[in-house]
Amino acid sequence: MRLAEIDRGDGLANRLLIGFISLVSRMRLPDAARVAFYHRDFGRPLGTWTQAAMRGPSKWSVGERELMAAMVAKWNASPFCIGAHGAVAAKAMDRSVVDATLDDFRAGAPSGRLEATLAFLEKMTLHPDELTAADAGAVLDAGVDADALEDAIAVAAVFNIIARYAEALDFAMPTADEFQRAAGMLLKRGYAS
Amino acid sequence: MPGTELDHRALAAALESRILDGAGKTPPALRRKSFERAGGGPPINQPYDDLARQIGQSASHVTDDQLGRVVQAAGSEKAAFEIVLTAAAGAGLLRFRSAMKALEEATDASGRD
Repeated sequence: MRLAEIDRGDGLANRLLIGFISLVSRMRLPDAARVAFYHRDFGRPLGTWTQAAMRGPSKWSVGERELMAAMVAKWNASPFCIGAHGAVAAKAMDRSVVDATLDDFRAGAPSGRLEATLAFLEKMTLHPDELTAADAGAVLDAGVDADALEDAIAVAAVFNIIARYAEALDFAMPTADEFQRAAGMLLKRGYAS
Repeated sequence: MPGTELDHRALAAALESRILDGAGKTPPALRRKSFERAGGGPPINQPYDDLARQIGQSASHVTDDQLGRVVQAAGSEKAAFEIVLTAAAGAGLLRFRSAMKALEEATDASGRD
């Protein structure tokens, strides 16, 4: 973590909260949660959108959306977000499916709908200026309706933001066991801070 | 887009409005420039240009020095955090707009929604 004030918390209440959660969970509170507590008023609309995109009504399951988030993290070279959201996805679907998709989604995605959508999200992340109606049309032709594609676009937009600040701030990497435990909390409590 | 259960456009607009126009430790004009720079916009004053451009292009290559110089120039870690979040949002919302435009054109062309 490059900003010490995020690490320790801004204000007494947040410092106590970070200490309390770390004590109860018996692990260092991950930097993603520390950022969510920091300068809270400034980032609140991002938290609201993240919660809606990841846990709100959608034709995509929570596991599929977490897997999309992990893929966007991969395209942004963000090990923290790959680990965090891959772990949540693996609580909602088979770990081998998550790993196969992360390795090569064109061979490993669990459905044609998800594969087509990930192809769109990959281009959206890496070459947004090159996206065309034909790219979106290919997803619709794969059986994804417009509302579902819009929901996937929102997931990718949010994680193009989150993965970027995670890397810019240099989030500390939890251990595999800590990712597992944090994933349980994210699955249960969602993203509202 | 009719029929969607979540209004992602409104949620995106609320985020953009808050970080660009709302209260903060940094001037709104600087936030807007950083937001646009990370989305491929024109160069801005240093040291903000280096950090915003890097966050837009490849945030995993941001350095301690790039962020440290923004902490110094902006006057506090909280101010620097605003620039980081604003630049990240600039890159993310550029992608949101490009993708929504492509989807809108596809549905208009086919009559699907």
